Amino acid sequence: MTRRIFFYSLLSLLFIIIDSTLVKFLAVGNIVPDILIVWIVYVAIREGQIAGTTAGFLIGLSMNLMGTTNGIVGIAALAKTFAGFTAGYFFNENKMYSMLGGYQFIVIVGVASMVHNIIYFIIFLQGSGLSWMESVLYYGVPTTVYTAAVALLPMFAFARKYVS
Amino acid sequence: MRRLVDIVLLFKEYLVLIVYVVISILLLALSDSPQVRTIRSLTLGTMGFVEDAFGFIPNYFELKSENRILREQNLTLSEELIRHREAKLENIRLHQLLALKEDAPFTYLSANVVGKTMSLLQNTITIDAGEHDGLKPNMPIVTDAGLVGRVTTTSSGYAVGQILWNKDFRASAKVERGRVDGIVLWEGGDYLSLKNVAKTLDVQVGDVVITSEYSNLFPPGIKIGVVSKTSQTPGALFQTVEITPSVDLVRLEQVFVIVHTPDSARDTLEHKPAR
Repeated sequence: MTRRIFFYSLLSLLFIIIDSTLVKFLAVGNIVPDILIVWIVYVAIREGQIAGTTAGFLIGLSMNLMGTTNGIVGIAALAKTFAGFTAGYFFNENKMYSMLGGYQFIVIVGVASMVHNIIYFIIFLQGSGLSWMESVLYYGVPTTVYTAAVALLPMFAFARKYVS
Repeated sequence: MRRLVDIVLLFKEYLVLIVYVVISILLLALSDSPQVRTIRSLTLGTMGFVEDAFGFIPNYFELKSENRILREQNLTLSEELIRHREAKLENIRLHQLLALKEDAPFTYLSANVVGKTMSLLQNTITIDAGEHDGLKPNMPIVTDAGLVGRVTTTSSGYAVGQILWNKDFRASAKVERGRVDGIVLWEGGDYLSLKNVAKTLDVQVGDVVITSEYSNLFPPGIKIGVVSKTSQTPGALFQTVEITPSVDLVRLEQVFVIVHTPDSARDTLEHKPAR
C-alpha cells in the first residue's frame, strides 16, 4: 500500500512537472490539454472514488503551491477534487481494465474534464468580461475536447496492455 | 457510537469530498486575486438578494427579542419625552419670569412653589427660598402675570406666602384707567372683590386693577387682575366690583419675591396717634 502511494505520488509529481513545462507546447490557440485530469481519472478508475478525489485535491493543491494558477490559491484543488470525485463514480473493480482500454475511458475523461473546466474557468475568468456561459463555451468545452483527445493515447496503450 | 461510525463509513466518499472542498474554498477565500474579489462581491450580492427575498418570513425568536428591545426603548423614549416637555415648559415659564425680572426696577428672588393649600379660607403657598436668601415677611410675591400674594412666615430655607385667595389678604388697589382706588380682598370663589368703590365712580368690565401707591406693602403698579363684573345694589353707597386675578393661582410653579420692605418711617408716621 505504501509502495503504491509512493508510486502514485512520484508519477503525480512527474505529471505536474510535465504539465507546467512541456504541455504549453501543445497549445492550440489558448487551449491546452490537461494531462493531470487524465492521470486523476486513471487513479480513480484503478483505486476508487476516495483515491480519485484525494489525488485530485493533492495534485490541485500542489499546482496551487507551485504557483501555476496565477495566484488563485485553491482553484485547482477545488476543480480537480470534483474531477476526481466524478471520475470515481465510474469505479468498478470488475471492469477496471476494460474501462481503461475502452471508449469509456475517453468518456470518463471527458465528463471529469468538463466538470473540472466548468468550475475552473468560471472562477478563473471572473472579472474578464466573459459571462459564465461564454467561459464554458470558449474555454471549457475546447479544453475538454482537447483533453479527451489526448486521453486517446493512454487509452490505446491500456488497450494493448489490458484488453488484448 | 457504532451507528455514527457506520454512517461515516457509508458516506465516506462524500465526507472526503466535503473536507477537500472546504479546504479548497478556504484557500480561495484567503486569496486576494481580482477573480476572488469578484466572486466575493457576487456572493455578497446574492446573499443580500436572498435575505431580501426571504426577509418577509419572520423569525419568531428574533421578533420576540426585538419586541422586548423596542418596548424598552419606547419606555425610555417616553420618559425622555416627558422630561423634555417638562423642561420646555419650565423654560418658557422661566423666560417669561426672566423678562419680568429684566424689565422691573426691583430686586427679585426666584423661588419654586413646593407646597400649596388651596381648599381653605387661608390659602397659602410654600416656596423654596427663605431667610438665607434674604426673604422677610411682607415681601410681595409676584409672577410675570402679576401679584400672587405676600410672604408671611419664613424659615432658613423656606417661606410661606399668603396668596390672593386668602380671607386675610388685603391690598390697596387702583383701577388703572379711571384711577379709582379701593381695597382688594377675597370673599371666596375664583374672583376678588374691589371694595370701597363709590357708585358714582367710573369702573367698567375689562379695566385693569393694579396695586396702588397708597399701599406700604406692595410697590405700585403691579397688576392684580381685570374687572370681570360690576353691579350696584339699591340703597348701598358702594358698588360691587369683581376682579379676575391675572395670575393662575392653581397652576403656580415658579414665583419671584420682590425685595421690598415697607417704609418703616412712613409706617410709623401713618400709625402715629393723631393729636
